[in-house]
Amino acid sequence: MLAAPGVGWLVVFFAAPLALVAAFSVMPRGPYGGVEPGFTFEAYQRFLVPIYLTTLGRTLLLSLACTALCLALGFPVAYAISRSGRWKTLLLVLVVLPLWTSFLVRTFAMIFLLRDTGLVNQWLLATGLVREPLTLLYTPGAVLAGLVYGFLPFMILPIYASLEKLDLALLEAAEALGARPAARLRRVVLPLAMPGIVAGSLLVFVPALGSFLTPDLLGGAKQLMLGNLIQNQFSAARNWPFGSAASLVMLALVLAAVVAWLHLRDRAEELA
Amino acid sequence: MPPSTTAAVQLNRVCKSYGPVRAVDAVSLEIAAGEFFSILGPSGCGKTTLLRLIAGFEIPDPGSGQLRLFGDVVDQQRPYERQVGMVFQNYALFPHLSVERNVAFGLEERRRPPPDIASRVRAALELVRLAPERFRSRMPAQLSGGQRQRVALARALVLEPRILLLDEPLGALDLKLRKEMQVELRALNRTLRTTFVYVTHDQEEALTMSDRIAVMDHARVVQIGTPAAVYERPRTAFVATFIGDANLLDGERVALRPERVRLLPPGTPANGLVSRPGVVQDTLYRGDTVQVIVALHEGGTIRASVDCTAGDGAPWRPGDHIVAGWRATDCHPLEAEP
Repeated sequence: MLAAPGVGWLVVFFAAPLALVAAFSVMPRGPYGGVEPGFTFEAYQRFLVPIYLTTLGRTLLLSLACTALCLALGFPVAYAISRSGRWKTLLLVLVVLPLWTSFLVRTFAMIFLLRDTGLVNQWLLATGLVREPLTLLYTPGAVLAGLVYGFLPFMILPIYASLEKLDLALLEAAEALGARPAARLRRVVLPLAMPGIVAGSLLVFVPALGSFLTPDLLGGAKQLMLGNLIQNQFSAARNWPFGSAASLVMLALVLAAVVAWLHLRDRAEELA
Repeated sequence: MPPSTTAAVQLNRVCKSYGPVRAVDAVSLEIAAGEFFSILGPSGCGKTTLLRLIAGFEIPDPGSGQLRLFGDVVDQQRPYERQVGMVFQNYALFPHLSVERNVAFGLEERRRPPPDIASRVRAALELVRLAPERFRSRMPAQLSGGQRQRVALARALVLEPRILLLDEPLGALDLKLRKEMQVELRALNRTLRTTFVYVTHDQEEALTMSDRIAVMDHARVVQIGTPAAVYERPRTAFVATFIGDANLLDGERVALRPERVRLLPPGTPANGLVSRPGVVQDTLYRGDTVQVIVALHEGGTIRASVDCTAGDGAPWRPGDHIVAGWRATDCHPLEAEP
């Protein structure tokens, strides 16, 4: 009885919309959007052509690369903040600060940085490293840079939270037992930061998988990622069943990622 | 002190400062190999810093004195190069590793062959009286405080250190367990012939376990000696009152232990005792003894510790007129505090 409000909430806002998407994905498409009564796997079959599979592969690759880069950049930052004493609060505010402005505005800022006459190219030309401006904008690289920039705080914060709890005496104990800095990192810091690493990776990977604004603005209108494909099917292409099917494919990817990461976290001990 | 190669630990005017604060101020001491040596003092006196200097977690101030272990100057050596073991205040067991993996950690870092590791871990667990089969695969969170303590000991001892450093290792245990561990630590020190350097703020613990005690106060070593010497012949008023209880007489120039004060009915012949008449102010029941606080007629108070052999608590009541007496030889002269 006590669970009733929670269950009701889940049904209305989670289960019902999901069931609707699932139902749409196996119905014939209507001529002006929407669906018509019937049952067909046409939408899923349509997904199996090279162009869509490439999009799927590129989405996975970009999201994984984004997660890996965020981890590589975010872990040292989180570690440094957790050991920064009285600067801690200030540094944390600096990490969170970008989130207070609109994601759209920040993505446009990336355009100003990366375009042919942007700051990066101006600097490269001024230092004589290149003779002609590089094409940075509207490339997968630009999308990756935008994703990493946008999601980095979500990697830093959970890792910081788990490093913050790390008892420094454990590092001294490891040192007294003969562990050099690299061994201390591998056998003590990383395993104990694993909950934060897993949480941060999920917080980056999942939204990266579903992102459509960043690839749209920084990648050009080239349907670089699954998110653009889905958005397009529901708007311009008016193919709701195909959009629904693509959404479910993405959901399956997210679930697979969650299971994989949780599995990794439970094996953290073997790492040490 | 001439450098001697037999000393396990030798400090010669070693200083350690944090900014303007001196945590260890020109400390010199020598610890013999195999000795159970305690560093005793109130919190903040610098005793933990002194231990961390020996361990290598802190480096002496540049230009200050030297630190030698078994004759070698080790000022620049990292902790793992010094062959010392350390038991931390809250044990610092790795929470993500089982008991077995915790104990094996140091051996694994030394790349010992796995069968060798397994047999050494087993021997170390048996040494600290943890049945290997029962405890091997438990996680630290599944252990009681006493068991964690034993794992921490096994983890340090399995590497056969030349010196075992212990930082208030029994602080978190209840009294009964603490007494048990005191006896066991002492026995380990005897059987292994490893030098134990033991930091504590508990004077009773230091007196019970140690071969010798260094008493620290305000970053300095005030007195070094056997438990009996430090108790019977305290150098300063601080040592006299920190270790055991003491009446300070003559403007803190003389210490008198309460158990040496005798309480007599008024009019008893002095019999060669120094005697002072007074009134019982209060009695504090302590189980085996009663502490009687006497307000002397000449001014001031004196505390006397009286055996509770009668079984009915204090033989004296507040308001009783009595005479406090002691032998002149029981008074111990003190040096002025620096």
